[in-house]
Amino acid sequence: MRLPPQPGELIDRSETLRFRLGESELEGFRGDTIGSALFANGRRVFSRSFKYHRPRGLLCCSGHCPNCMMTVDGVPNVRVCVEPLREGAVVTPQNVVGRLDMDFLSVVDKVGGPFTPVGFYYRTMIRPRRMWPLYERFLRGVAGLGRLDPHAGHSRRYDVEHRHARVLVVGGGQAGRAAALAAATAGPGVVLVDEGSRLCGHDLPGVEELALATALGIWEGNLVPVDCGTVLYRYRAERIVVATGAVEQPLVFPGNDLAGVMLPEGARRLARDFSLQPGSRAVVVAADEHGLESADVLRESGVAVPRVVDLREGGHELEAHGRRGQVRRVSVGGDSVDCDLLVVSGGLQPAYALLAEAGARVEYDESRGIFVPTELPDGIEAVGSVTGEGLERIVAAPAYEGRGKCFVCVCEDVTTKDVKRAISEGFDSIELAKRYTTVTMGPCQGKLCQLPSIRLYAKERQVYEASIGSTTARPPWAPVELGLLAGRHLEPTRRTSIHFRHEELGARMMWAGPWKRPYAYGEKPEGEVHAVHDSLGVIDVSTLGKLLVEGPEAADLLERLYPNRFADLKPGRIRYAVLTSDGGRIMDDGTVARLADDLYYVTTTSTGADAVTAWFEWWNAVWGYDAEIVNVTGALAALNLAGPLAREALQRLTEADLGPDAFRYLDAKHVDVAGVPCLALRIGFVGELGYELHFPSAAGEYLWDRLVAEGARPFGLEPQRVLRLEKGHVIVGQDTDSESNLLSSGMSWLPKMDKDDFVGKFALEHFAEREERERLVGFTMEENVVPPEGAQIVVDGWPSGRVTSARRSEQVGAVIGLAWLPPDRAEAGTRVEIRVDRRLLGARVTHGSFYDPAGERMRA
Amino acid sequence: MSALDFLSPSRSAPETLASPLARALAGAPEGVRDLSLDGKVEVRGDLGRVELEAGDELVRLTPGRGLLLTENTLEAIDGLRENGLLAYDMTGALAGLAFEGETLLRRLTDLDPGALPTAGGFARVSAVVVRDDGARFRAYFAQELGHYVAEVVLDLLAGLDNA
Repeated sequence: MRLPPQPGELIDRSETLRFRLGESELEGFRGDTIGSALFANGRRVFSRSFKYHRPRGLLCCSGHCPNCMMTVDGVPNVRVCVEPLREGAVVTPQNVVGRLDMDFLSVVDKVGGPFTPVGFYYRTMIRPRRMWPLYERFLRGVAGLGRLDPHAGHSRRYDVEHRHARVLVVGGGQAGRAAALAAATAGPGVVLVDEGSRLCGHDLPGVEELALATALGIWEGNLVPVDCGTVLYRYRAERIVVATGAVEQPLVFPGNDLAGVMLPEGARRLARDFSLQPGSRAVVVAADEHGLESADVLRESGVAVPRVVDLREGGHELEAHGRRGQVRRVSVGGDSVDCDLLVVSGGLQPAYALLAEAGARVEYDESRGIFVPTELPDGIEAVGSVTGEGLERIVAAPAYEGRGKCFVCVCEDVTTKDVKRAISEGFDSIELAKRYTTVTMGPCQGKLCQLPSIRLYAKERQVYEASIGSTTARPPWAPVELGLLAGRHLEPTRRTSIHFRHEELGARMMWAGPWKRPYAYGEKPEGEVHAVHDSLGVIDVSTLGKLLVEGPEAADLLERLYPNRFADLKPGRIRYAVLTSDGGRIMDDGTVARLADDLYYVTTTSTGADAVTAWFEWWNAVWGYDAEIVNVTGALAALNLAGPLAREALQRLTEADLGPDAFRYLDAKHVDVAGVPCLALRIGFVGELGYELHFPSAAGEYLWDRLVAEGARPFGLEPQRVLRLEKGHVIVGQDTDSESNLLSSGMSWLPKMDKDDFVGKFALEHFAEREERERLVGFTMEENVVPPEGAQIVVDGWPSGRVTSARRSEQVGAVIGLAWLPPDRAEAGTRVEIRVDRRLLGARVTHGSFYDPAGERMRA
Repeated sequence: MSALDFLSPSRSAPETLASPLARALAGAPEGVRDLSLDGKVEVRGDLGRVELEAGDELVRLTPGRGLLLTENTLEAIDGLRENGLLAYDMTGALAGLAFEGETLLRRLTDLDPGALPTAGGFARVSAVVVRDDGARFRAYFAQELGHYVAEVVLDLLAGLDNA
């Protein structure tokens, strides 16, 4: 029932807002929360509990408990007690099968006890095993709170904003406001954050106020993310003042979860902020003055209060009795009192979670029966009741036993019986019990259940609360929307400067590490393979890592980084290069071209540029060579023009002499191509005559267009994989793994073991001495079946190797691939079997290239 | 042709060049400008020896590494190398974007607006961020991430306009 206008009420009676609850059209006032508007419309049951589907009503009206969680405009788990009412809001109950006042799953509460004891997911519904699919479907159907609409799409936009503050005050109560004002006298940069609307009407000069904003935690470096709905403010503060106050604690007694059982602040807010009569006849049971004072508030709002019980006087049993989930009668101290409202208070517990997250110690204060923060870290202060200042000694009994369920945790439906059973099963540490019973792990994050559960633990184990300790406080302090944590929907994507040309040509783009690259330009990549073999193809290889190494000691640096030799590489020549770790394992590969005596140009794999740069810089910092390493990956586009017609096509675009004697295989030359300065590398990853052109990325589209106009057919990654496989060329990371070394990978010719030293030399010497364990070889399938990458190779019925790459090659006329095999099966011509779809298919081991083994075509 | 000419877009005719942000910024609001083809030179060595021409700007990234923003890339590189420094044309490597609004900046980076220029995280990638007069800023970042960064900036602007 709405009271006549009250001084200080938050509602604006002149503006009516309409909203829906299910099929019902309801009204409230501007300034109402959805919860207060529903209450004004006579709703008393707001939700159904997590496990037992018991009816639940408003309890705290402070956004702490789970009792009022509903779905609002498609967003689940909104605490409607603090959610402002808005015109047209659509509110739906959640965790309900049927209606709020008639939930069919409440049968679990009546008869489900034997099936749902604490830890039931470990012990029931697991036998018989054949029934598990049925159980699973049922459990998945009923688990969780709320439902996300998978088809909803992006209904809101979320952003993150980074801010800096000199002083950040968390909590807008009396102490927080005073701290903010005091800080503001020393200068600007003071921010006050409050999760409610307490800042309304307070004049705080020099203070930036953020209302309806929740500080989610305190991280290293005084980082405080503040949830403001659709924007997450990430504050870095020089100093943080925590003034989060204290949280009212419920009492544990039979029937303590009935609708109509409220905490004092809940009743106070309904009456004072929203001018609502919380009930018509109330009983107040409290362990502190703060709770007892609520009786006066109730009387002022016209509620009859026939009984007020001060628990400090001791000796009272307490039990609430209800009908249809709502409180109707209270038994207290042997008396039975009819009522529809029971206000209970177990005292106030400092809300210290943020301080604990920041590194403060939390200790049990025996004298007052509460946990208090101590030893605050530098840069963090606490003021007000969060310190325990001004709080009374709590004398409430740990739990009042009776016939009905006594809930220690209303979020997770954990009862006193559950906690006792957990203790009897050996979960006698509060941290273990937390994980087993899930007490403190629900939406309130322990605000209402940590202290009661610790008290119960202490009582059952007959020890002091101080020896039980508290559970670890972890952020977030309050529930936060996943969308807010996820932020923007855009992900960093690397695109070459020719990316949009590929899209215009109809390329199917795929992820290749952090890059987007063309898979192929049509449905059949075979045509692109043919073009490279028979005429001319062009592929965008701008993703290759590209480094400059320059300086008087650049050669010395590369000599020590790589197993092969580069000091004797002549300017204008290129050498294949494989980088090994200090454990002798293959890390990356590419080419090294010497551009001048003191200047090298290094290429790496597409995903290896950053790691190789870091590796070079790290070693150079250790050795101190006079050489600079510059990552120019993004500065340069790169195109590989390949095919028998490559020379004549390129010749039409340059005045440079590309003749076979003037520009030999493995030469590097500076040439102008169609007016663009290029470094041209004559190398052949795809096995045909080819030129790799490296040039300013800004000219990417232009040069691509010119080469395509000369007849080059674009080819993508998939045709490139077929072409390189025909040559038996290895892709590091696909054909090799973290255990692969040069000797077992068929590259024993590469390391120059007579060099004084290089990274991985000691390990390679060790590999050379020990027995070989496996070898990378080629294979040809007997049938026209492509085994999947990773397929097992079976010897005598045992897995003995694995396929790393396989493709059908029309040029070779067979399915070919690379695989790791035991040395005794790795000889050329050996027959092995590969498991494909539960069948064993024959294959023959090969060595060397499948296509043009002498390399005459790429050296043409 | 010198050994590092292939790094320099300014060695090519202007009509051969395209900005990596061109598509993303087509129709961008006023206040957002593409700086990608402006000259950028990475300098290594004793930055105290850098002699700035009129209009040039040196952003110090580390004691021995800086980013020179200049209109005359080739001349600047020659001058720096003659002066005993190492210099590399990074015009093609770095895309650049000018924009307005401190709130927009705060949604892009956790760098302190009062401590610019500096290098750090920007739209979840690495960038060099420079402050001009008032609430006008410039950011330079890897060109291969340029289209993505431009999309983020425009998306945020749209959000701020609707806020």
